[in-house]
Amino acid sequence: MTDRDSAAWWERVAEGRLEVQECSRCGTLRFPARAFCPRCRAEDWRWRAVEPVAEVDSWIVERRTTPPTTIVRVRLARAPHVVMYGNWRAEREPSPGERVGAVFEDGPKVNWVPRP
Amino acid sequence: MAKRLLAFSDRTALAGIGYTDFSKNSGVSTLTLACRAILAALDDAGLGVDDVDGIATHRVGDSVPPSTVGPALGMGAPTWYLDQFGGGSVSHSVVGQAALAVAAGLAETVVCYRAINARSEFRMGTAASPGMEAQYQVPYGLAQPLQHFAMAARMHMIRYGTTAEHLGRIAVRQRAHAVKNPRALMRVPITLDDYLASRWIAEPFRLLDCCLETDGACAVVVTSAERARSLRRTPVLISAAAWGGGDSFLSGASPADPTVTAAAELAPRLYGQAGLGPSDISVAMLYDCFTYSVLVQLEDYGFCAKGEGGDYLEESLPFNTHGGFLSEGYVHGLNHVAEAVSQLRWEAGDRQVPGASAALSTSQPGYVLPATSALILRRDS
Ligand SMILES: [Zn+2]
Repeated sequence: MTDRDSAAWWERVAEGRLEVQECSRCGTLRFPARAFCPRCRAEDWRWRAVEPVAEVDSWIVERRTTPPTTIVRVRLARAPHVVMYGNWRAEREPSPGERVGAVFEDGPKVNWVPRP
Repeated sequence: MAKRLLAFSDRTALAGIGYTDFSKNSGVSTLTLACRAILAALDDAGLGVDDVDGIATHRVGDSVPPSTVGPALGMGAPTWYLDQFGGGSVSHSVVGQAALAVAAGLAETVVCYRAINARSEFRMGTAASPGMEAQYQVPYGLAQPLQHFAMAARMHMIRYGTTAEHLGRIAVRQRAHAVKNPRALMRVPITLDDYLASRWIAEPFRLLDCCLETDGACAVVVTSAERARSLRRTPVLISAAAWGGGDSFLSGASPADPTVTAAAELAPRLYGQAGLGPSDISVAMLYDCFTYSVLVQLEDYGFCAKGEGGDYLEESLPFNTHGGFLSEGYVHGLNHVAEAVSQLRWEAGDRQVPGASAALSTSQPGYVLPATSALILRRDS
């Protein structure tokens, strides 16, 4: 499922690290992983660790699986333009705008839990 | 709205429409479906295969290309053809590009078709999603267009107070239309309670939020307005044809704000081409893969303000008079165009909107492939 731009990102997730690309020229953070900065078109970049905290944008409860699967759409707290999807790991439903934290699971996957 | 007519506005027309039966299992190949729909559309126009010099379709690995369909019908070599990659979001651009080809003189008469065994052979959402974004979604069980629309619908509910009852009203109204449509697959009336009692698929969507998976084909004939006037049907002019995307196009499958679709960016261009505005539209065929896509397009095509789609339903213009994909059948877009043509010819029977003079017909508004396409059609006066 990975591609040549994204393989290194998934390797970091497998090690329990949430990082996104940071443009070496203008500092823009970007995700998903890709070669060029969409803002200044520079090709130089570095990995930047980001706080694994996000806000809930929306979610669905997929009812065709047993048990049902809750999938959340979140935005990173430190980079609100970065959208990620993951599974919700709590007994209750998320609420809009709720602050959540990343948990790393086998797959590898980045999933989300209520922030303590 | 300022007049800014393009060179091709009203220069081309839809001169014929054709359908196969809609079913859950056609028992025949997609090639057979395509040929049947094309021959029906040509017959409707009073034309033959030898009159066709252009052929166009769109597909996502689920249908037959023009290079198979043309020879199967013994067509001569086309002077123009189009085999567009894409699903619902490009359905109307196929017709728009055919209109451009005719207006530019590349072809005289183009047949556009869409043929799918979408229930018995190629079920939507069972193949891996196209595009690089899928790798960030599929591991979590996010793999179907339905789920992306449900995610967007939830955001609309959170931000604007849109309710299940609003979505249900769309399903109920379209079913009432389908009851009057002999071609429709679902002709038993439903109530809001039936909607609310239908089983969950992916919350906030219930079964009755979702379109039908359908085997079937539809075709339309595009020719010059001048030629259409010499044929046997009332010409339906192509006043505007636009395709493309807005913010969503730049952000792939995760648009920054899923409560605003590519249609919002496209609408001013579309209306500008036709020299018309939302209040000039008599009837709208709004891409209804799910109830929510109707609601968001009522907003994004300017029939009401952003966030007011739910309340606007009380007073809305007529939409999806054939029952739409929710109740007539899902042929991925062209059956919307064909219904618009029937309405503008005043041949829609019990479901006719009296005096219909202009119609909007739209494609998937941009949640899967991040672009959309749409037409404004006008009865020739
Ligand atoms: Zn940059």
